[in-house]
This record gives sequence, C-alpha cells and structure tokens, in this order.
Amino acid sequence: MLLKRKRWLRLFAALMALSLIAASCGDDEDVATDPPEEQPDGEDPPAEEDPPAEEDPPDAGEVTIGVLVPLTGELGEFGAIVADAIEFGVGEINAAGGTQCGTIRTVVADTGGDAETGIREATNMIESEGAVAILGPTSGVMVALVDLAKREEVVIMSPYAGTITLNELGGDFVYRTVSSDLGDGAASGLWLSSRGYESVAFLIQNEESTISPAEVARGAVEGSGIDITDFVVYNPGQPSYQAELTTVLANDPDAIFLAGGQESGVTVIKEAVAGGFDGEWLFTADLAVPEIFGAVGAELINDVAFVEFADADPSLPEFISFEERYDAAGDPFAPNSFDMVTLVALALEASGQCDGSGVNSVIRGVAHSDGTLVSTFAEGKAALAAGDSINYEGASGPLVFDESGTVSGAYTIQQAQDGEWVNVEFYPASTFDG
Amino acid sequence: MNWLQIFVTVVTLGSIFGVVTLSLNLQYARGGMINFGIVAYFAVGAYAYAIFTQPAPQGLDQYKFGFGWPWPVALVAAATAALLFAAITGWPTLRLRGEYLALTTFAFAEVFHSFLLNERRIGNGTVGLANVKRPISDWGPIEEKYVFAGAAALLMIATLLVFRRLLRSPYGRALDAIRDDEVAALAAGKSVQRMRRQVFLISAIPIGAAGGLYAMFTTLAQPSLFTAEVTFIIWIALVLGGERSVYGAVAGTFGLIFFEEVVRTWPFETVRSAQIAASVEHIVTGLLFIAVLRYQPFDRIAERMKATR
Repeated sequence: MLLKRKRWLRLFAALMALSLIAASCGDDEDVATDPPEEQPDGEDPPAEEDPPAEEDPPDAGEVTIGVLVPLTGELGEFGAIVADAIEFGVGEINAAGGTQCGTIRTVVADTGGDAETGIREATNMIESEGAVAILGPTSGVMVALVDLAKREEVVIMSPYAGTITLNELGGDFVYRTVSSDLGDGAASGLWLSSRGYESVAFLIQNEESTISPAEVARGAVEGSGIDITDFVVYNPGQPSYQAELTTVLANDPDAIFLAGGQESGVTVIKEAVAGGFDGEWLFTADLAVPEIFGAVGAELINDVAFVEFADADPSLPEFISFEERYDAAGDPFAPNSFDMVTLVALALEASGQCDGSGVNSVIRGVAHSDGTLVSTFAEGKAALAAGDSINYEGASGPLVFDESGTVSGAYTIQQAQDGEWVNVEFYPASTFDG
Repeated sequence: MNWLQIFVTVVTLGSIFGVVTLSLNLQYARGGMINFGIVAYFAVGAYAYAIFTQPAPQGLDQYKFGFGWPWPVALVAAATAALLFAAITGWPTLRLRGEYLALTTFAFAEVFHSFLLNERRIGNGTVGLANVKRPISDWGPIEEKYVFAGAAALLMIATLLVFRRLLRSPYGRALDAIRDDEVAALAAGKSVQRMRRQVFLISAIPIGAAGGLYAMFTTLAQPSLFTAEVTFIIWIALVLGGERSVYGAVAGTFGLIFFEEVVRTWPFETVRSAQIAASVEHIVTGLLFIAVLRYQPFDRIAERMKATR
C-alpha cells in the first residue's frame, strides 16, 4: 500500500513538475518584449505608465495574431497552406519593422475543423495570448466564432470560408478575403453550361458549404437547357457510396458535378469509375489539392476531371510580384491568406490602436479607398508614415468588402493533366457583375 | 499559460459534461443500463434551447420554428424536451438488456443525428442554429465567463446532490438490489421495469438542461457538435473516474477536460510546431488514458472522499 502510494506521489510530482515547466515557458512568452527593429518615424515608444492616447503609438513590443486553422482532418491540407502563407506574410511584415504596435507574433492552433475546438482555441488566443485578430477559420468555425468575435471585439477573418451564413452574419469584426459560396456556384454553373453537355448529374455532400453552391450551379445548368439527371445529396463518412451511385450511373450522364470533401470524394470517384462511368467530372475546391492524384489514382481522372475554386487573377501585377517572392503562391487560397494578414497589419498601423476594435474600425478603408495604391506592407507603412491614406491591392485581387465583410471573387477552372492540376479557364470577378 | 483561463474553461465545460457523466453514472452504475446514445439527449436539450430562444426565421434560414422566448423558459424547455425524448426512446429500448440495449441506444442516437443533418426545417440541417441567445448582457463588474462557470457549476452541484440523495434513500438501495440481482429484487416485490424507466427519465432531465447550457456557451446547435464522439468521451470520463461513485464521475470528467485544455492552451508560435502537436496529441492522450486506467487516481480520490464522510 505504502509502495503504491509512493508511486502515485511520484507520478503526481512528475506531472506537477511538467506543469511548472509549462507555466514557466508560457510566462516567458507572455512577457516577451523584444523591441521591433525600428520605430515608426524614429519615435520613442511611450513610457509604460502613460495612458494610451490616440495620437501616441501604443507600447511597442509584440502584437499577437491567432492562426486558427485545421491542420488535421479533411481540410488539413488547406489549413497548412493557409497557415504557411500567413507565416510568410508575417515574415515580410516583421522584416519591414513590424507595425506601430510592434512585431507580429503568431499563435497557431489546430481546430481539426471542429466548431467547439475552434471556440475553445479562439477563447484561449484572446484571453491568454491577447490576440487582436484570429485568422484562418473554416466555414463552420467562422460561424461559431461570430458571437465571440463581436463580444470580445476581436477581428476574425478567413481566406476560404465561403459559407452563405456569413452573408448575413458577417460585416462587423467578421471578414473574409474570399467570395461567398454563391460565387463558386455561379462559376461552376457557367463552366458546366459551356461544355456542351446534354446531361449532368449532381452528387452533393450534405454540408452547407457544398449544397449552397450546388443549388446555384443547378439553376445555371437548368437555365441553359441541360438535363439534370440526378441531384443526390449524400452523407459523408460512409464506407461506400454505391447506393447513391447506382441511380446516378443508371442515367448515364455526360458529366458529374461532385461537390464533396476529400474523404468521401475519393471513394465516390473510385466507385463511379469502377461502376463504368467514363464521362467528365467537375469537382469543387475541396478536391483542388495535388494529393487527390495519389489518393484516387491519376489515371482515373487525368484529362476528364476539372476543378473549380476561388482564385487570384494570375495576370495581376500584385499576384506576379507575390509569386516571385513566395514559392507556394499558386496553392489554393495562399494569396487570400497573405492578403488577410497584410490587411490586418496595415489596419494596426493605420488605426493608432493595438486592438481588435482598432483593426475593425479602419480595415475597410485600408482595403479600399481613394488613397495611395499599395501592394505590400512595407509600401503601406511608408505611405501611412507620409500621412497618406492607402488602398491595398492584394495578391488575390482588389479587396472591396461588402456589407457582410465579403469580397467579390474571381474563379479558376483547372484540369487534371498528367497527375497535376493545370489552369484551363479563368473567370474574373467582372464575369458575374450584375 | 493563463491558468485562470484554464480554470474557468475547465469549470465550465467540466461541469456541463460532468452533469452528463453523473447521469450516465446513475443509469449505468446504479440502474444497470448501458446507454451508448447519451449524446442524443444532450443534443435534444441544446436544440430545444436554441429553437425556443431563436428568433423567427429570416433571410437564408431554412428552419421553420423560432419562438424567441426568454432564456429561463427555454432552459426549462430543454430539460423537458430531453425528458420527453427519454420517454419516447425509453419505452421500446428499456425492454432490452446489456449489449442489446447499448446497440439500440446507439442506433437511436445515430438516427437522431441523421435527422438533425437532413431535416432542415427543425434545426437548419448541417448549418445548425448559430448565434444562440446568451442570457447574459450586463452583470456589472463580474465578467460573463465567470457567470457561466458559476451557472454550470451550480447545475452540476445540484445534480450531484439530488442524485446522491436519491441513491442514499431506500429507492437507491432498491436500485442497487436490482443491479446486483434482478431476480432477488423481483422476489422482494420491486418492479424492475418501472424503476429502470424512472431512472432513465430522471437522468434525462439534467442532461437536457446541460445541453441547453452548452448551446448557450458555444452559441451553437450544430449536428457536428453532437456526434458519437461525445458519447465516447462521456464514457471515457466515467471509466477514468470510476463508475461506482458520483464523485468519481465528476473527477474523471474534470480530469479529462483539464488535460485537453492544458494541451490546447500551450502557445505554438510556428505552423510546424502546431502540426507536430496536433499529430502527437492523440498519442499522448492515449498513453495518459492507459496510465490513468492503470493507476486509477480519480477513482482513489473519489473513494477517499467517500471514506472520509
């Protein structure tokens, strides 16, 4: 008994020791006050005792931004792309001397795509790390965070949350550098209508982010006189989708519009081809990753599969410049992610406040105004220092937030060719005006 | 690391899930019923609270019912809805025993989850109900998070006291008798069916209230929040804490939430470190579970608390 008790005490002591180490590590990070490489205009930071005043820059040190992305789960590959692009953006911002609030420090957390985890992680970022903005949540997590963002007055921004729910909830503290899913639906519909198909089947994963664009695409396809043989909404997570595919394949459509996640999508594609389908595919953004070729088998989709996603205009000088600086600029949502963190940094620089409400109050003006055109943080910082207002033109295109905090978007269609995605069509934002 | 924030989150979520674990403890450890669908009753409470407080549908909303009632009424409605759901599901399922009951309750929960996913007129389908009403707007100098933690802790303590009182009464001893030997209890004149149904219904009430509180806390009622994973977490908490004591159920839940929270609160400043942490979190969690099951610390704490009384 005594021996057991001693063993238990040892375990308890070890845990306590680990906790103390954790606490000490965290404390070090909490009080880190490395000064930025340079102060704006060479001014000295105000003394710590000074109350914050609008005309004085806040205490220079670090300003924390939360990066809340799915690093695991079905959207893990997108989360990594977004987090990497943000990290690259932060590197550029800090290399330019950081904001007037100090250099940018990021705190990265994995949501796994889960809303409750997102709320808990975001709360930690705000309460424990003092984050002024949280960047990168997916649709479901963004919706879950709307209330928290407004309550805590912290800006949340996503480069890929197209959910139409945000068309109503977004706008104040809630922004996205990507267009609504309805735009994806319009682009998909336009592509399907232009291919000369006589019949198309729709296979839609039962998610709001896939159903909404599919409904819009269906309207466009029906409007162009194409026969919709099936509109099947399936639940993900099944070992097989034969039941859904049996009816779809029986009608022998010319093409299948598959709006599904990576897990279900891979199985659907394999089973459809095994079931004799030899028509063309149009996938949605979830499948716009190179890993899909390994998962499905490139030979099954080469030349017959297309994918649609919101994308930057590759002809824009801002994108070309971004591409020259960042190797992974072509990854889905990388330009949108870079723009997101640059916008927040410029808003911090412009607002005179080092908190979420400061960012929220000026971010629309920074993104779109009659001021000096800038495309990097360094340019924006210099213009602001000169007393100019700025208009940030992003790598993903012009960023004009509408009432719901959403930008209008451009879309790319890529084709599977020799085991990789290749651009075949680009729809600029002007395609869908009116 | 902000230990105060960890403490508040652990108290809030630990108490909410602690209520569910206590109810499961009553059903399983005392009533002898294996409920693998406990998340469904939790979800019913959350959805009922959301529907009763939600404003009428507008714009892109697909749900048909939103009553906009005050939160206290909605909280009572959440507990009542869970009770009704337990009455409906308990009637066919409680005729079964052991693994058959486990499978049937699991199936019921899956059917209900599928219903929430596919029936948009009730809970807005996969989108769920967002921005669920929080009752708190101004509590003066007290921050909202402390009020929430206090409310959740109160609900858990009330549940614990009621269940403890119930189990120490002659009714509780009759339950123990049924669990230990049904035939002997029957011979002594106890109605096994009726008592099992009563326990099932009584335990559903706090689960529903906890579901309502959970919807308030997260401001969400989405199908993705109420998957079978929640059931398994509650079962793990019960096993970790030891099934024979109400204190063990609470200790197990708090321990589980504390561990999750400590891991998640660790600030990772680079993408790579966050990726590595995400990868190893499950491995570490699994190893910790093995260690806890081997040494059963929560069970011992609970036993010690029991012994000192």
